Amino acid sequence: MRLERPRTGGSGNEDDRILPLINVVFLLLIFFMVVGSLSATDPFAIEPPRSANGEAGDPKDIVLLIGADGRLALDGAAVESAGLPAAIARRLEDAPHPEVHVKADGGAEAAAVVAVMETLREAGVERVRLMTVPEG
Amino acid sequence: MNSPAFARPPSWRIARLRRRHRLISLTPLIDVVFILLVFFMLASSFLDWRSIVLSAPSAGAASAAMEGTLLVEVRPRGLRLSGRPLTLEALESRVRSRLADKPDQAIFVKPAAGVPLQRAVAVLDRLTAAGATRLSLIRDRTR
Repeated sequence: MRLERPRTGGSGNEDDRILPLINVVFLLLIFFMVVGSLSATDPFAIEPPRSANGEAGDPKDIVLLIGADGRLALDGAAVESAGLPAAIARRLEDAPHPEVHVKADGGAEAAAVVAVMETLREAGVERVRLMTVPEG
Repeated sequence: MNSPAFARPPSWRIARLRRRHRLISLTPLIDVVFILLVFFMLASSFLDWRSIVLSAPSAGAASAAMEGTLLVEVRPRGLRLSGRPLTLEALESRVRSRLADKPDQAIFVKPAAGVPLQRAVAVLDRLTAAGATRLSLIRDRTR
C-alpha cells in the first residue's frame, strides 16, 4: 500500500493529481474497445424494426441496406434496384454460403422489402436474414 | 563547471528532475489515449442486432406451395386470416390451435401496399410467439 506523501510545496505533484484521470480515461478506452463493435458507417441512416425475438448476431458477410424511401445499398455502396441482381451475382461469386443480411428501415414499405427479398432469391441467395433490434 | 555543486547535485534537485521527467513523458501519453478514446467512442456502435430467418418460398413456387398454408394478410386497416378480418390477439389464438393439430404448418404473411415493415415484423413476432416456425413473407405478384 502506498501512503500519500506529505505535501511540501504548493504545486509540487501535478502528475500525481493527474494519475486518477489517466486511470479513468484508460478504463473508458478499454470499455469502448471491448463493448462497442467497429463497423463501416452506412451510406444512409436507417431505423431498424423492433422485434421481440430473433437470433443474436451482427450483420456480416453480405449486407443489404434498404432505406425508408426504398433506397438500396449493398455493402455500403449505393445500388439501383435494376442493378441489384448483377451486383449480388458478383458478390456471390466468392461467397460459399450465400446469405444476405437485410437491414431495412422499419418505416419502409413492407411489400417493397419483400420484393427486394424475392429479387435476392432469384439471384441465387439461399438465406435471407432480416435484421432487427430488440424492443424497449 | 567543475564546482562541487554541479558534480553532486543535492537530493531535492534529483527529486525535482525525476518529477519533471515523468511529467514530460506523461502528457503525450494522455493525448494519445484521449484521441484513442474519442475514436472508439465515435466509431463503435452499440446496436444489439438480431436477425429473423425467413424461410423462402421462391417466387415461382409460391403459388404451388399455397395449398395447405395459412395466409395472413396485413392491411393498413387490420389483419385478415384466409380472407376473414380478425384482431392480432384472435390471430395468435387461431394460429396456436392450428399449430396444435399440425406443428409444421407453413404460414405466409402478405403485407399489402402501404404497410410499414415494422407492422409486418410485429405480426411475425406474434406468429412466432404462437409457435410458428415456417414463416414466409410474400407479396402480390399481380402488381
